Amino acid sequence: MLLAQLFGILFLVNAFTIGGGYVMLPLLHDFFVTKYHWLTNQEFLDAVAIGQISPGPLTTMNAFIGFKVAGLAGAAAAAIGSYLPSLLIATFVTKHYLAFKDSRVVAAVFNGIKPVVVGMLAAVALQLGGTSAASLPALAIVAGSFLLMFFTAVDPTFVILGAGIAGAFLF
Amino acid sequence: MVEGRKPPSLRQLFLLFLKMGALAFGGVYSMLTFFQRELVEKRRWLDHDAFAEGVAIGQITPGPPIVNTGIYIGYRLKGLRGALATTAGQVLPGLLMVILLAYGYAQWKTIPLLTAVLKGVGAAVVGLLASMVVKMGRTQTRTAAAAAFAVAGFLLLHFLKVNPIVLILLAGTAGWFLYGRA
Repeated sequence: MLLAQLFGILFLVNAFTIGGGYVMLPLLHDFFVTKYHWLTNQEFLDAVAIGQISPGPLTTMNAFIGFKVAGLAGAAAAAIGSYLPSLLIATFVTKHYLAFKDSRVVAAVFNGIKPVVVGMLAAVALQLGGTSAASLPALAIVAGSFLLMFFTAVDPTFVILGAGIAGAFLF
Repeated sequence: MVEGRKPPSLRQLFLLFLKMGALAFGGVYSMLTFFQRELVEKRRWLDHDAFAEGVAIGQITPGPPIVNTGIYIGYRLKGLRGALATTAGQVLPGLLMVILLAYGYAQWKTIPLLTAVLKGVGAAVVGLLASMVVKMGRTQTRTAAAAAFAVAGFLLLHFLKVNPIVLILLAGTAGWFLYGRA
């Protein structure tokens, strides 16, 4: 039963990987290309590209895989399989976190974690900057979007749209 | 919830996440910046502490981190139905676009243009993210110890490429030693 298989594979991959889209790619490739031959290598690469150009999480690419394998029903089975583990596990963790967050131990643990998250995000910004800000026009977009977001209350929507339009002309 | 703020309705929560899901081109970090701007700064449904907790919980739970962070936010504001609303809202637009692209898959001709557009967006996301980091830094590093934690997180990830999950676990352990045993 193809739909159940699709659902099952994506449920398992999402339930057992921590870290998101890119961490899952080798596993997905192994299942869909190597083991079941449902996709060619090129189709898999296209799925990744489509996931990247669409808004939202990369995992929306799983719907593309589902669609290639079993049409619209396949896309639906893939999407549900991808997000159900999160709905179960993250909800469970959040519920218990909120119940215990005022306890001294949990509060202390998160007092350590919160500033580290900021440091990690700074490292990510720097790393993304290294690949995205490779030319002078790109650097100008980085600087412009930083200044707009930092000093004005502009909606990020307009920054993203503006940068997309600029990209169409510049790159 | 920030003190004294009325919680959003389920419908408001869903529509906001739908909007962010449709507009956050450029990957997960673009979406994260939207969360910070819309939920913390504009609507003040969350403060920076709750937001940072949500980011951390998103990272250490299985599945896509940004979806997990959305679930944390939805659950915190509106319980289980809130978690469903934020998940559906943030993934539906992307799913729709992916399926449309799958239909037109054979005759893509617009991809080079789209690639150029996304190069611009990618550069903007760096600026958005940097601005978010500076703003979060101001609320999360008020003590010398917290600042040292942030710097350590940056250095360990940037130079030593320590696995982010390991890093969060280390930070939690260090926090427990430092703050938990008074």
